[in-house]
Formats: sequence, structure tokens, C-alpha cells
Amino acid sequence: MACPHHDQLSAYADQQLPPAELARLRGHAEVCPACQQRLHDITALGQSLRALPSPALGFDLAAQLNDRLRAPPQPGRRPALPWADWRGWMPAGLGAGLALASGVWLGGLLLGGGMAHAPAASQVRVFDPVPPGGLCAAAELCRLSPGMP
Amino acid sequence: MGLDSHLQDEECAALAQQGDRAAFAALVRRYQDRIYRFLVRLTRSPDDALELTQETFLNAYQALPRWTPQARLSTWLFRIARNLAFDWLRRGKRVAFVPLDEDEEAHYPDPAPGPDAVLETLQRYQGLEAALARLPAEHREILLLREIEEMPYEDIAAVLDLNLGTVKSRLARARAALLNKLPR
Repeated sequence: MACPHHDQLSAYADQQLPPAELARLRGHAEVCPACQQRLHDITALGQSLRALPSPALGFDLAAQLNDRLRAPPQPGRRPALPWADWRGWMPAGLGAGLALASGVWLGGLLLGGGMAHAPAASQVRVFDPVPPGGLCAAAELCRLSPGMP
Repeated sequence: MGLDSHLQDEECAALAQQGDRAAFAALVRRYQDRIYRFLVRLTRSPDDALELTQETFLNAYQALPRWTPQARLSTWLFRIARNLAFDWLRRGKRVAFVPLDEDEEAHYPDPAPGPDAVLETLQRYQGLEAALARLPAEHREILLLREIEEMPYEDIAAVLDLNLGTVKSRLARARAALLNKLPR
């Protein structure tokens, strides 16, 4: 019999093979020094890992968690998220609505309480191409349109 | 204390499902150190392991109504802990391996009479912890569950959501990888 794969040896060390395969592998391991060594390594590794000092919490976690477990577990329900409940948003929504309404009202007061009126063209003719007292550099620029005073 | 001594895990869990916080506290006391040591070695960060241990039990408490006796409670808790740890690892909160400090060394048992033997034991522990820390998390977790928690393959499969064949092959690879990393 050829030497078994490492998977098989590992499962053999854990006694996790079917009985027939276990017996076959045992027969091989008894006469194969290489497999004996590999099995020894696997077994010794497990023993070493179990011998490692075990880190421990060192305090009663249950007592510490007690305050956080006030609400009993509820069937079929995840812990409620604060933003998941729309009722939690009601005060904020009302506040935002009031702020918006007062902004519109104040804006209306500043604009004179009515609709804005466009001034007449003569009142806004401040960008004359020729400065007061200046000479006209180009006649077509200085020609006044017929509608303008 | 009574609950700790005479009720099985599943009985405690059934009582906790009905709102019995003392029963849940008994489960926490029973498993807190096992979950913590698993998380410490998985995350390599004692502070984060502590936080994740708390989260494990808080999540378990909230998920208790969905727990059924068909699932062994220990594997169910380890599965929650393992998933939290992997979320944590995925978020990139990895930490470098921290050598054992002197305080920790002071808690080691004294297996041999002479100082040379004590030193040799300490070095062997440190070498093993360091080699374990250098393994990929997938190898580390399966070794911890098998070798330290001594879980049967079926329970490991349930914790890691793997089939038995994958448990067998991954465990073999993890053992080979750790043996390769150990100082000779």
C-alpha cells in the first residue's frame, strides 16, 4: 500500500475514517516509519496546542451585560434601530416644516409683502456705453434705440 | 449558581427564550472564556476580542427566539462569534502579532523543576503562538475549533458552514501549514 495522503492521515489521527479504511491505514502505519513520524507530528501538534496557556476574561461578563439585557428577546425581531421607526422622526419633521414656513414668511416680508415688479427700462439704464461727458468711440454703439429716451 | 450546576445548555436556552435572564447569565458564564480565547487567537487583539465576546452574547440574546434545540448551543454561539470575528477581520482591523509579555508568561504553569526547562517551555509556547498567528485566519479557526475546543468534525462543519469533506481537507492543510511554520 502506498503512503496515504496527508488528509487521510489527519482524519486517521482524529479517528474520523470509516472502519474499513481505519483498519487499512492502521496496518500500513504499523510498518511505515515515515507515516508513523507524520502521525506522531500531528498528534504532538494537537497536544501542544491544548497545552497552551488559555487566556481568560477574568471577570463576570454576565454581570456586566446585565444592564444591556433589560429588554427581553422578542421573537422574529432584530433590535430596533433608532432610524427605523418613522415615529422617531416626527419631532424633527415638524421642526423642519416650521423652519421652512417661517423662512418663506420672512422672505415675503423683506420683499415688500407682494410680488416683485420689474422696473422700467429707463430706470435701469445705468450701463451706457459712453461714460458721462465722454466721446463716442463708435457711432453704432452710441446710437440710441428709438424706444429709449 | 444553581442554574450553572444542574441545567443543560439547551434547558438554559429554553428558559432564556422565555425571558429568564438568570438562565442566559448562566450560559454567558459557561461560555465566556471559551468564546474569548477563541476570539483572542483569531483576532490577535485582546481588546477587540473582549468587545467581540460581548457582541457575541448580545447578538445571541437577541437571536434567541430563532434558536431551536436542533442546533447545539455551543456550535451556535461559536458560529456567531466566528462571523463577528470575520466581519471584524474583513473591515481591515488586523493587528500585528504581539509577543507574549512578561505578565502573561508569569501565569504559565511550571512543568519542570529547573529554570532551563521553564525557559524551554516558554519558548515552545511562544513559538507555537507565533506560528499560529502567522497562519491564514481560515486555517487558524479550524485548528482552534478542533485542537483547542476539541469539537467533532460535525460541529466544526456547523460552525464554519462547511461540508464534512471540506472540514477534513482544510484541517489537514492547516495542520501541515502549522507544522511547517514551527521552529525545528
